Amino acid sequence: MMLLLFAGPLLSLAGSPSVHEGVTVYAERLYTSTGEVVENAAIRVEDGKIAAITGGTEAPDGDDVLRAVAVTAGMIDASVRIHTGNFSVEDAHEIQPHRRVAEALDPFDYRWKRMLRSGVTTGLVCPEDRNVIGGFGVVLKMGGEPSIAARTVKADAVVRGAIGGEPSRGNHPARGRPSDFYSRRPTTRMGVEWEWRKAFYDASAAARIPERAFPGSDVLQAVLAGRVPLSIQAWTTQDIRTAVFLKEEMQREGLGEIDLIIDAAAEAWKEPQLLTRSGVKIILPPFDADGRTGPDGAFIAWNVAKMLQDLGVPIALSSHGASDPTQRLARQAGYAMRGGLTFDEALAAVTLQPARMLGVEDRVGTVEVGKDADLVLWSGTPFEITSRITGVLLDGAVVIDPRQ
Amino acid sequence: MLTRALFLSALLAPGGVPDLAAVTPPDSFAIRAARVHLGGGVVVENGMVLVEDGRITASGANVTVPDGVPVIEHEGDLSAGMIALHDHSATRGENYDSTRAILAEAQLVFALDVGHSDLARLASEGVTSIVVAPGPQALVGGITAVVKTTGRAVKRRAQLDVSLSSISLRAARFPTSYAGAVAELTRRFEEAEGAFADAAAGKLPVLLRVGPRHEVQRAVEFAKRLKLVGALYGAPRAGELADAIKAANLAVILPPFDPGDDSRGPKSAVQLAAAGVPFGFALDAPARHPASLRLGAAACMRAGLEPSAAWDALTSGAAAIAGVDGYIGSLAPGMDADLVLWSGPPLDLGSSVVAVYVDGKRVFGGDE
Repeated sequence: MMLLLFAGPLLSLAGSPSVHEGVTVYAERLYTSTGEVVENAAIRVEDGKIAAITGGTEAPDGDDVLRAVAVTAGMIDASVRIHTGNFSVEDAHEIQPHRRVAEALDPFDYRWKRMLRSGVTTGLVCPEDRNVIGGFGVVLKMGGEPSIAARTVKADAVVRGAIGGEPSRGNHPARGRPSDFYSRRPTTRMGVEWEWRKAFYDASAAARIPERAFPGSDVLQAVLAGRVPLSIQAWTTQDIRTAVFLKEEMQREGLGEIDLIIDAAAEAWKEPQLLTRSGVKIILPPFDADGRTGPDGAFIAWNVAKMLQDLGVPIALSSHGASDPTQRLARQAGYAMRGGLTFDEALAAVTLQPARMLGVEDRVGTVEVGKDADLVLWSGTPFEITSRITGVLLDGAVVIDPRQ
Repeated sequence: MLTRALFLSALLAPGGVPDLAAVTPPDSFAIRAARVHLGGGVVVENGMVLVEDGRITASGANVTVPDGVPVIEHEGDLSAGMIALHDHSATRGENYDSTRAILAEAQLVFALDVGHSDLARLASEGVTSIVVAPGPQALVGGITAVVKTTGRAVKRRAQLDVSLSSISLRAARFPTSYAGAVAELTRRFEEAEGAFADAAAGKLPVLLRVGPRHEVQRAVEFAKRLKLVGALYGAPRAGELADAIKAANLAVILPPFDPGDDSRGPKSAVQLAAAGVPFGFALDAPARHPASLRLGAAACMRAGLEPSAAWDALTSGAAAIAGVDGYIGSLAPGMDADLVLWSGPPLDLGSSVVAVYVDGKRVFGGDE
């Protein structure tokens, strides 16, 4: 799969005038995420895009040249959890497909910069999983002008919901008269599943009978039609089964074909045949030293990425909001390789794979002419424990400067 | 005065609600002071203010005092009374109705206990008018009022209180999220009933409660989208977004600053002034001491704010934000005689209040 190129100019954007000042990144090895590795590559960046890639060349001179041992595309974290906590999800109703987490984000949060420092340039942000269906997630750049609108790569990228203990946590049964909406919400996994199924059947009915429309029924119809992917957080095998069964029931009943992404699917290794037969995509949470992860102590095995990869299940690695430096996305790729994934597969799982899952591969996920100039500069081979991220470019801007 | 009060009642409260405090017409008098702070940075040495029937009829260096009108000699400074743009004095426990997230038609003027000692305390520190505002938990807390510390209402329908602050999302009722709050408020403004109609038409300014910068951004976008006029309240770092606020034609009511606060707060005032955004200060007494209004402005001066800009933010600028600049906030002829006699320059921290007049009537200090 790895193709080494020593030859001259690969591709270039002929005669493109440089409106803004550009930069050139020179890498001893450029890992493009397309399966190609370009040695001694000069990557010309202009107007926020990759303007040209020249392999087998000498390092050019100049103040606008940044050097690195290795360069990859900016990484994509499909499970960024930088939001405003409880205020990112509407608690008053269980089913909120029409709400947008983008309206609840803080572009001034210091954690965006932390993502950039860890080599992540793009991410999917979803509502906190306090609800059964919490609303639209958004694909954002992790930096740039401090405005969510300016950073948006794809609005309404997925509809987000959760299965498991989290959506029912904090709810309570009514003692006497129900006192607030928390006593109307499900308190069990069974109740959560019922809410999911009811929402889709109701939305389907609303498509036929206009009087039955409810807030968000149009969004759920778009999910059933496969126009918007559905991202469900499900850590344990029990919850992963529920998610898959939901997709399969909708299919079986002729309600629609859900494009299902299961996030935080730690126990995806337990019943992989469920995943292959239903065609779901998987986002893995961070690997954990003792294997136990998530609110319910789901067990994640070191080789889960390798196993899913070999079965042909599309996978993306994620940091799932971990703040511990050992849990950042670059480390996850290393852990997945330790579990058997090849370098190319691991690189794809943090770049091209999540880009495809989120439908943003036209802009990000690979280093190719015409794509956004989101680049990570490494001091050595990426994902090695001895390598460090020395620089980051975001839309052509040097946001982490290797010269400093 | 009485005729004017009745006229105001008729103008501002179509329901004909009687005024909150009885006003006795005071005598005419004049005050000569070593320095008279007319507003807009103009300070007149040995100036004079003539008060007739509770209003200022002349002010400046060359004031002719009619025969028989007593002249009070003051060796210190004379200024207009200060205006606190957000306050809870004399409304404790009565300014937030927890049964509803939205109570748009509630009038804060009816939360005010006119005889409460909170109001006398305000006057003793040179604050002669406040904007009575609701507690922070409501999504829409009601209609604010501008009242004198005597209890007289200057304006009963000043602003519609609207919150996009997380503090209003913590109750166990809809909404609990920013997206829910924006959606619900949008719906109400678009339905445009009652106070929402007035606000949507730009006839009633909004008081948009916010906190951190992302809330400021959200509120600015919200106001622009719905074409609302009014002010942001509670954003210590609003100055960093001054250009966006200016573009939305909003004013800013800064929270009261302590000298020990994060220096980016007071710096905000400097940034707002540089961008030409109108701003004033909240006081939020009784939780804060009434003196913190003046001390907060001084903290902004320490961060680089021009003294005249700081003083305007406490008086004429504040009056404009509250929509009462035709009545209070300066010593111009025609204005209400809300006067503060200081021992020295008002923004000098060593100065203290010697006497205070509201509507030409002495309410604090002074034996002259």
